[in-house]
Amino acid sequence: MTALYEVRGVGKRYGGVVALDHVDFALNAGEVVGLVGDNGAGKSTLVKVLSGAHEPDSGEIYLDGERRSWKSPHDALEAGIETLYQDSGIAPDLTVAANVFLGREILRKDLLGRFGFLDEAAMRKQAHAELERVGIAVPATSRPVSRLSGGQRQAVAIGRAVAWANKVIILDEPTNHLGARQAGEVLEVIRQAKAKGFGVIFISHTLPHVLDVTDRITVLRLGRVVADAPSSSFTPDSLLKAITGLSQA
Amino acid sequence: MEAQARPHWLKTVMVRQDVILLLLFCIMIAAFSAANPRFFSIRAMANVLQDFSPVVLMAIGQTFVIASRGIDLSVGSVLGLAGVSMALVIRAANEGGVDPWLAITLGMAVAIGVGVVVGFINGLLITYCRLVPFVATLATMGAAAGMSLVLTGGTQIAGAPKEVILLGNATYLGALTVPVIAVFVIIILSWAFLSRARFGRWTYAIGSNPFAARGAGISVDRHLIKIYLISGILAALAGAFVYFRLGSGSPLSGRGGELNAIAATVIGGVSLQGGTGKLSGVVVGALITTAVLSGLILIGVQPNWQQIVVAALIALAVGVQGLGARGGRR
Repeated sequence: MTALYEVRGVGKRYGGVVALDHVDFALNAGEVVGLVGDNGAGKSTLVKVLSGAHEPDSGEIYLDGERRSWKSPHDALEAGIETLYQDSGIAPDLTVAANVFLGREILRKDLLGRFGFLDEAAMRKQAHAELERVGIAVPATSRPVSRLSGGQRQAVAIGRAVAWANKVIILDEPTNHLGARQAGEVLEVIRQAKAKGFGVIFISHTLPHVLDVTDRITVLRLGRVVADAPSSSFTPDSLLKAITGLSQA
Repeated sequence: MEAQARPHWLKTVMVRQDVILLLLFCIMIAAFSAANPRFFSIRAMANVLQDFSPVVLMAIGQTFVIASRGIDLSVGSVLGLAGVSMALVIRAANEGGVDPWLAITLGMAVAIGVGVVVGFINGLLITYCRLVPFVATLATMGAAAGMSLVLTGGTQIAGAPKEVILLGNATYLGALTVPVIAVFVIIILSWAFLSRARFGRWTYAIGSNPFAARGAGISVDRHLIKIYLISGILAALAGAFVYFRLGSGSPLSGRGGELNAIAATVIGGVSLQGGTGKLSGVVVGALITTAVLSGLILIGVQPNWQQIVVAALIALAVGVQGLGARGGRR
């Protein structure tokens, strides 16, 4: 079976520092893969390679078995890979609807549309429908995001990613700064995205969340993959040990 | 989810900063008129509108820039450089016996060219060279002001054909000159593009969170270059309109113009943090700034005090914004 999204032998250096060293990573459709590792393990670099933000120095990228390369995040977006970066997915001054449609605005059908004039009513309505479809309790879509609670903001950011993705969703620390109930809602949205056949990459420091929602876990340490196994084969303790590299004997 | 209580109508009025500003403006007009009845005459109003034109043009450009979390300090110098470049071209053409309207057209092209060049340089310095907008536009502000002095040798450039004065000063309907009418058209177009079109949406998005904008696939650098181009072109138009009014170009005109433009913008409620601000507020902010400048003269305050008052207004407006933000956000 070909993986939905895969990188092979990826390497990336920043000056003299090796951030990624021959990393293999694969994701299947309808699968949630957890990407974990300590600070500096190479997680965020791998995310940047997967999302098209950085080009790797070496290695290959395959989407649906086809060799691809991303010159910019825009390329990856076009190919159906949505990324929600940590704490940066949302423009707080814009409304919920404006955020859901940011970069993909619906223009008016008439002559004004040719000059870039927006069809706000259509975006409000569709934003509401899209968020509901991915299982998010929708706040009023005409509200600025800055008026929402932290959990609602994150829900809008994730809802946006899930609504637009057509293959892969990359979520970088989506449950950070969230209360238990709100984090639970986020995990539920991830399960729904999986049920719809998306591949989800879940990056988190919160190991209980990772063990709870993922099918498989890839552990990075010092730029290398040190473990890649079904989530059920890990215990909280063994996962922590894999991450820190202690008692590996 | 929070309950959505309908706000009291009084609260809606208070939240509409542009409405409050308009009330403030009316109170100011009443006060100045009481102090000097000449203030409230068609002639004086026509003058205020002519003073208002360059301020509001620069303020509109500044609104796009500040909404994207930048600042453009070069607008006053661009006004001056566009004015003198235009004056030099039109004088030369006039002396060469070129048709005056053709000379004016050439002059306009050169003025707008100045705005395009400086705006483009600002945009490149900020995006390609990664300078912060404050430093990039401080540099072009100095360079453009210096260029005006180099071109003119520090003197005023006269020698405009009478058509220039006519274009800048003939009034229609009592108080409207051609440039003033053009300014109203520009205000409406800018309002539409800022508040109703994708261009404005992306501008606010970049000012609100540049990472989110980039992540959403917006080419942030290209958009920023366009914004600084708009600011440069509008400042250059302001320079052309000042030239039409006076019939001469001075390297000193526009000096301190950035102060008035930024005052109008922040009084109009545009946050220096980016991401917010309405053009309706900025237009009233420009009215207030201009009325303060003209009103001070009419009630007999020495013109030298103007800059100090405008500077105080900026500090006051930003201070009030800070209070509002603390009260309004959680």
